[in-house]
Amino acid sequence: MSANVENRLHELESVTRSYARYSRSAGGMSSVLGGVLCLIAYLGGPLLPGTPLARAALIAIPAVWLLAKGWMMRHYYQRMGHVEEWETPLERRVHCFCVAVTLVVAVTITASIGMAARRHAWSLPVGMLGYLTLVWLLVVAAWRWLRSPLDFIVGTFLFCQAALISAGGFYPLIGTTHTQQGMLMSLVALMFPLAALALIARGVAEHRQFHELRLRLEQLRGAPAGEP
Amino acid sequence: MSTPSRLGEVMALDRLVHEPARLLILAVLSGAKEVEFGFLEQMSGLSKGNLSSHMSKLEAGGLIEVRKSFRDKRPLTELCITPAGRRALAAYRQQLAAVMQELPDPAASTKRR
Repeated sequence: MSANVENRLHELESVTRSYARYSRSAGGMSSVLGGVLCLIAYLGGPLLPGTPLARAALIAIPAVWLLAKGWMMRHYYQRMGHVEEWETPLERRVHCFCVAVTLVVAVTITASIGMAARRHAWSLPVGMLGYLTLVWLLVVAAWRWLRSPLDFIVGTFLFCQAALISAGGFYPLIGTTHTQQGMLMSLVALMFPLAALALIARGVAEHRQFHELRLRLEQLRGAPAGEP
Repeated sequence: MSTPSRLGEVMALDRLVHEPARLLILAVLSGAKEVEFGFLEQMSGLSKGNLSSHMSKLEAGGLIEVRKSFRDKRPLTELCITPAGRRALAAYRQQLAAVMQELPDPAASTKRR
């Protein structure tokens, strides 16, 4: 009897923990979507025509992803009710570090753009205002939504690419530029499609795990209260 | 172990935790940082009133925390286990295991007969 009760208690705790993962560290199909959008942004920046419509679509990608992420969590993965996952001290430290990095970058970029604007009687092109807005939105997104390292890498790229596109540029594809700075940028940007592929693979695995979890939940749901 | 001390161990089980519905609530809450009322309701299969009554007892005992707020103009109840609740659940599991180990196996005694 004791072993039976112990097993049931352990199962309840374990199922709740697995379900809670979909509040923060596991995205399932939203991770797949993030990966696909990252690939679209990576290839679309240099390959799509620079029409206002294409640019607006690429700039909207990070918002689309974050909205879809929240929607899928609430209406699909956690439709039985929101359960918040525990954050380990290491995860908390990594997350704080990532947010701090984006904050430092945002402050540095704002200061350098501010100094440049001061030399031109504080006039900034509209594109640069959009660039600055997106850089600061990245800080908010990193704090609120980008809670795992892969989410952070992909989310950062989506925001950075959107910011660059709003200012009239984009991350170049490898082999398409011959300047030293361009080659360096394209090499750095190469890690983003790789992270996107990893995020897609992780998302598929998480989605499969969710199906197994749903079966376990169905078995446990509504079990008589006398048998915890 | 003598029967009176065995009985003492059974009597020493935390009654607040020992009740099956409350044990279930604590087990679910121990797996997450915060749990919405709806999830607990579906996992337990208890009625809203019954679940609220057990929640109130656990809250009064300091084993869980209940936060009430509104989301999209709808009432939202979220629960989390307190450090005291976590300790009480761990202690209960240990006590129960010890008690069950000491009790004679009814299946074995039936075979002997």
